Amino acid sequence: MFYREAGQYKTSYAADMAIFPIRQDRIGIAVILLIAFVIIPVFGNQFFLSSVMIPTLVFSLAAIGLNILTGYTGLISLGTAAFMGVGAYACYKLTSWFPGVNILVWIIASGFVSAGVGALFGLPSLRIKGFYLVVATLAAQFFLQWCFVRIPWLVNYNTSGAIEVPERTLFGVVITGANATPTARYLVLLSVVAALTWFASNLVHGRVGRAWMAVRDMDIAAELMGIRLLTTKLLAFAVSSFYCGVAGALMVFLWYGSAEPEVFVINQSFLVLFMVIIGGLGSLIGSFMGAALIYMLPIVLRMLPAALGLPIASATVEHLQFIIVGALIIVFLIAEPHGLARLWQTGKQKLRIWPFPY
Amino acid sequence: MRAPGGKDGLVAGDVLLAVDNVSLSFGGVKAITEVSFDIRKGEIRAIIGPNGAGKTSMLNVINGFYHPQQGRITYKGATRQKMRPYVAASQGISRTFQNVALFKGMSTLDNIMAGRTLKMQGSFFWQLFRHGPAMREEIEHRRKVEEIIDFLEIQAIRKTPVGKLPYGLQKRVELGRALAMEPDLLLLDEPMAGMNLEEKEDMSRFILDVNNQYGTTIALIEHDIGVVMDLSDRIVVLEYGRKIADGTPDQVKSDQKVIDAYLGVSH
Ligand SMILES: Nc1ncnc2c1ncn2[C@@H]1O[C@H](COP(=O)(O)OP(=O)(O)OP(=O)(O)O)[C@@H](O)[C@H]1O
Ligand SMILES: [Mg+2]
Repeated sequence: MFYREAGQYKTSYAADMAIFPIRQDRIGIAVILLIAFVIIPVFGNQFFLSSVMIPTLVFSLAAIGLNILTGYTGLISLGTAAFMGVGAYACYKLTSWFPGVNILVWIIASGFVSAGVGALFGLPSLRIKGFYLVVATLAAQFFLQWCFVRIPWLVNYNTSGAIEVPERTLFGVVITGANATPTARYLVLLSVVAALTWFASNLVHGRVGRAWMAVRDMDIAAELMGIRLLTTKLLAFAVSSFYCGVAGALMVFLWYGSAEPEVFVINQSFLVLFMVIIGGLGSLIGSFMGAALIYMLPIVLRMLPAALGLPIASATVEHLQFIIVGALIIVFLIAEPHGLARLWQTGKQKLRIWPFPY
Repeated sequence: MRAPGGKDGLVAGDVLLAVDNVSLSFGGVKAITEVSFDIRKGEIRAIIGPNGAGKTSMLNVINGFYHPQQGRITYKGATRQKMRPYVAASQGISRTFQNVALFKGMSTLDNIMAGRTLKMQGSFFWQLFRHGPAMREEIEHRRKVEEIIDFLEIQAIRKTPVGKLPYGLQKRVELGRALAMEPDLLLLDEPMAGMNLEEKEDMSRFILDVNNQYGTTIALIEHDIGVVMDLSDRIVVLEYGRKIADGTPDQVKSDQKVIDAYLGVSH
């Protein structure tokens, strides 16, 4: 089982343009899907599913969303949490109005609501760049956050001020609400994330992705080649917010079960941004890696002292977590802006030519 | 050898682009002052002049990146006060840049494919699936791009991120990206700057071949006078934003104002 392309000749452009041109990569993807769809649900315990896999998948999807905007199009946003919130609240309203319609339909529809809001807040991006655009997305974050707190209509006037996820079924199986099993929630979430990842991968490898990256790398040249800057940037905002919106809806409906406005505060925007930076700007695989690392690190850190019998206070662990994440971000920003994904690529490249590097 | 009549109904020798009495200034700096000249279909038209003469600014006016304060631009028979970048691109004006302006994070292939964006108008819906019409379109354009890659002899760097390429090759990829638009008017801003002799010879050959094989009209800015004299049909000379000479290489070579400008005679 060598990781190698020798003997695999590409006889058509279609084969050369495949997203995974090397057979071993395709096998790798198949194995990952097998593990995710079969092995984990069968052998994973409830804790692992609901406290590790489900959150990681939700954040991976949000990270893909932000990566489309920041990694592929070069527009930094601090509004991620707010766009996730738009998705969550939209899904809640929609399923309250039309309880009979399948919840999956509303989860996807809420992505479109978020896309619209995202495109609206993306409008200034034609005129402003860099730091000023960050400030504009920050304004979006605070404005939407304010709406979540101040507009009781959004939560159907619940006295708690929180979204309370109702029970919904898919093919007769309960998938949301208190009676949904972690396995059911995990499988639904995984299916949505897998499908949306496939769409994202198709987009970034084609005309749309090239236009995004062209705008990121050299907007003047892109414009003079007939790539319309406004359309391209707004599309990036819309698609990005779609992904964030769906991630937000999934977060509340398949993970939290109920959500107060505090869920969608700026800290969460930063968390997703860190995932994207550490995972790798402009990489979908990196989005998963970054989400897994950032989300699982505290869990591992919390369990480690107990497992090793070390007497470390939980407050210390929490501080340790901040220090490690902070250090990682600095290291990656300086040494490897393309993040874990690039390290992974480099590793594969080494393996491909191993043991004769020349 | 010249191009036959194209889809715009112009035949070789007709005026493709005319710049009429154009002035451009940045605040107090006058970059271009009352310059007029034309570019005929099928020719290689050089724009030369000392540093800061306004050559790059002129290209920027032609493809709509700068808007002149005064003057008119007539392209393919339509007269405008100013060009718009999108209009210029969609009507067949493409260019390379003095300081390479490639998409650094993308491969050679993707850079040149990006040059075909205007010709790829398939629906967003199919892009999501990368199958059906989207894939057919992608393959059709990939074929064109491979022709350009073969023409420029850059097969070996197809998948290399362009940021990692040496300068000479980057210039070549940038020419490829401009050619991918199948332009009617190709603007080249110092395509040979910083190249060694061999690279210059290659680049000259590509420019001549583009002109001959595809009949593409070319406006060329270049400091190497030898190259300019060899390649161009007509030359316009700028100095301090003004036109000081215009004509065939022989006419320009013997023009006293040009000789003075190039020998640095004080004014
Ligand atoms: N964006 C700008 N803002 C202000 N001044 C500018 C700008 N672009 C060009 N200029 C000025 O306009 C004049 C002409 O510049 P331009 O770049 O067109 O010269 P050039 O002939 O291309 O020179 P070179 O041979 O050095 O490339 C210069 O004085 C330059 O400083
Ligand atoms: Mg110049």
